[in-house]
Amino acid sequence: MDLAFTPEEQTFREDIRAWVKTSLPKDIAHKVHNALRLSRDDHQRWAKILGKKGWLGHGWPKEFGGPGWNAIQKHLFEEECALAGAPRVIPFGPVMVAPVIMAFGNAEQQQRFLPGIASGEVWWSQGYSEPGSGSDLASVKCKAEKQDGKYIVNGQKTWTTLGQYGEWIFCLVRTSNEGKPQTGISFLLIDMTSRGITVRPIKLLDGESEVNEVWFDNVEVPIQNLIGEENKGWTYAKHLLSHERTNIADVNRAKRELERLKRIAKTKGVYDDPRFKDEIAKLEVDVVALEMLVLRVLSAAKSGKNSLDIAGLLKIRGSEIQQRYSELMMLAAGPFSLPLIEEAMEAGWQGDFPGGELSDAPLAGTYFNMRKTTIYGGSNEVQRNIVSQFVLG
Amino acid sequence: MDFDFTDDQEQLRDAVRKWVDKGYTFERRKNITKDGGFSRTAYAELADLGLAGLYIPEADGGLGMGPVEGMVVMEELGRGMVLEPMTHTLMAGTVLAGYAPDAPNLVKAAWLPKIASGERLVVLAHLERGARYGLTHCNATASSNTATAPDLWALSGTKSIVVAGDRVDAFIVPAMAGGRLALFLVEREAAGVTTTGYGTQDGARAAEVRFDNTPATLITKDGSIGLAHAIDIGIAATCAEGVGVMDKTMAVTVEYMNTRKQFGVAISSFQALRHRVADMKMQLELARSMSYYAALKLNAPAQERSAAMARAKYQLGVSMRFVGQQAVQLHGGIGVTDEYIVSHYFKKLTQLEMTFGDTLHHLGEVSARMQDTAGVFA
Repeated sequence: MDLAFTPEEQTFREDIRAWVKTSLPKDIAHKVHNALRLSRDDHQRWAKILGKKGWLGHGWPKEFGGPGWNAIQKHLFEEECALAGAPRVIPFGPVMVAPVIMAFGNAEQQQRFLPGIASGEVWWSQGYSEPGSGSDLASVKCKAEKQDGKYIVNGQKTWTTLGQYGEWIFCLVRTSNEGKPQTGISFLLIDMTSRGITVRPIKLLDGESEVNEVWFDNVEVPIQNLIGEENKGWTYAKHLLSHERTNIADVNRAKRELERLKRIAKTKGVYDDPRFKDEIAKLEVDVVALEMLVLRVLSAAKSGKNSLDIAGLLKIRGSEIQQRYSELMMLAAGPFSLPLIEEAMEAGWQGDFPGGELSDAPLAGTYFNMRKTTIYGGSNEVQRNIVSQFVLG
Repeated sequence: MDFDFTDDQEQLRDAVRKWVDKGYTFERRKNITKDGGFSRTAYAELADLGLAGLYIPEADGGLGMGPVEGMVVMEELGRGMVLEPMTHTLMAGTVLAGYAPDAPNLVKAAWLPKIASGERLVVLAHLERGARYGLTHCNATASSNTATAPDLWALSGTKSIVVAGDRVDAFIVPAMAGGRLALFLVEREAAGVTTTGYGTQDGARAAEVRFDNTPATLITKDGSIGLAHAIDIGIAATCAEGVGVMDKTMAVTVEYMNTRKQFGVAISSFQALRHRVADMKMQLELARSMSYYAALKLNAPAQERSAAMARAKYQLGVSMRFVGQQAVQLHGGIGVTDEYIVSHYFKKLTQLEMTFGDTLHHLGEVSARMQDTAGVFA
C-alpha cells in the first residue's frame, strides 16, 4: 500500500500540466473558473486542440490512435485538465460512442467515424432517453423499420444534451417488440442533417437550453449505420454505460470548485463565520473521501486485484457533492445571488452587477442547474437500488 | 499509488481473523465483560500472535511493522470488538521507542521487549477533568530535586478514563515539569498510585488514576510532539477498528434482513430499507477509504499527519454513528436488546466516536486547518 504516485506517474502528471498550461486558451479557462457561459465554439476549440495532440480520445487504445494510457494516467490527465480550468470534454463522441464503435462496429464503420471523433471535428449527441422513459432505459419506443435496404426511423428522443449542436446522433431504436424490453433494441448512428429530423431546445430552470427534444419523422438511415447486430443494441448500450467508471464521480472538478467556493466565501466575508466555515470543512472531507474512493477504484483497475464494483456509490456521492458546492456558493452570496442578469453570465460584461461582485452572477443558476446531477445517468434512487442489490442480493 | 495488501499483510490479517473467530467469540467477550471488561489471558494470546510488538523495532524485540499492518490488525480486532487495549500498546511502543530522549537506555531496554512479549502492558493516561479532547490541558505536575537527585521524579495529579487503568502494569503520563509538558513512565504499583476501576459503555474497562508524589521515570521533557504522535496513532487505529466493527455490523444486518419476515416477506424486499442499506454501504466505504488515508498519512510530517487524522476521524465519526444507529433501527426490537449482538456493535461504534476526538471536535480541527487547495495530496 502506498499513497504516492510513482516517479513515472509524477513525471507524466507534470508533462500534462505543462502542456495544458500552454495549450488551454486563457479566455476559456477564465470562463470555466468563473462559471461563465461556454459557447459551442469554446467547446470545439478545446476539443480540436486536444484532437490535434491525439488526446481527445484520451481513453482510447493505441490501435485506434489513442495514447493507450492506463486508468491512473487517464485520471491524472483528467485531473490536470480540470484543475487548469479546461471545459469538460463533451463525452458523447470520444467517451461514449467511440468505444462502442471500436468494440462492436465493423472496420468500415471504424474508418468512417473514428477519425472525426478523434479530431473533434464532428459533434456527436446521445439519443437514449425518450419521453416517459426516465431511468428505465429499456423502455425504448422510437422504432426503426427495415425497408428497401434502409431503416425508416420514427419516434422521439429527449434530454439530448447539447443536441442543438449535434451533427450525428447515436440512438437506441426498437427493431422488435418480441421478448423482454431489452431484446429488440438496436444501436443506430444517424446523420442529424437527414430529412425528417427536428430539434427543439428545452429551456431549463436556469434559463439555458442545455438539452433538447429530437423528433424523427420517417427518417431514412442507411443500413450500414447499424452497429453490430440488429436487436443486440442493449448489450452495446450497457458496454457504453460501464465504460469510464470513475469519471462519473467528477472528483477533479469538485476539487477545483471547492477552491472556488473558498474564494467566494472569502470575498463575501462568510469564510470567518464558524457556522459557514464548518460547512465548507465538511465538504472538504467529503471531497477527500470521494477522491480516496476513486483512487481505490483506479488502484484496483491497475493491479487487477480486488476489483471494486462501486460505480453506483461514486455516482451518488459525486452528484451530491456537486450539488452541495453549488449550494454553498449561492448561500455565500446570499441576497446578491438573486439578481437574474443574463448578460452578466457572459464573459466580458462591463456592467455594474448589483452588490458590486460580478462573480455572484452565475451562482444561483449553477445551483439550479446542478439539481440535474442526482436525476440523470440513472437517478440516485436507481443507483441505491443497484447498490442494495449488490449488498443484499 | 497502490491500495493492494502484500501477501505478508494478508497472512497477518488471516492470523488475527482466525484468532478472533475462534478465540474471541461473542460468548467469551460477554464473560470478559462480566469479569470486569479486561482479560489478561486474552491479551497474552494477542501478544503470542506478535501483535503487542507490532510497532516496536525488531532490535527491541518487536516486529518493526508499519501503519498498514497496524490498520490490518485493528480492523480484525474491530470485527471481534476485542476489549483488550491493543491501540494503547501501539501508542506506548511508539512513544518509548521513538520519543524517549531523556529516558535512560536501561529503561527502554527493560520495557520495550517486555511490552512486545505482552509481559508488560502500558497504556496512555493523558485525559484530565475539563480537558475533553484537548492535549494541552494538563494539571498534573512532576518535579525532581535538581541538586541532589535530578533523575528521581515525583508526579502528582489525576487522570481519567484510563483504559484498563487498574489492571495494567504502567502508564505513560503527561505532566507539567519546569513549565513544559513532559512525559513520564509510571508503574501502577508504585507508591502513591490509587486506581478506581469501572466498566465502560462498550463492555471494556477504565479507571480513574490518582498519583500522589509517585516515583516516575522521565521519558522526555518535551512531550507535546510525542503525545501528538501517540494520539494520531490512536486515531488511525480507532479508524481501522471502526471499519472492522462496521464490516461486521453490516454483515449481521444484511443477514437479519434476509431472514426476518414481515407481512409474509423478507424485510430485505422493502425499498425504503434497501435504500438505507445502500446509504450504510456508502458510509462504510467512505470510512474505509479514510481509514486507508489515515494509515498512509501516519508517517507524514507532524502537521500534515495531524491534519489528515482530523479528516479521517471526522469521516469515521459520521459513518460510525450512521451505521450503528441504522443497524439498530433495521433490526427493530431485537436491536435494542442486550442479548443480541447488534446493540454491542452499536455501543462499540458510539464509544469509538468519542475516543481521541469526536466528530464535532475533528470538524473544528479540519476547519481550522483548511488551506486554499485541498485533496488527498494537499
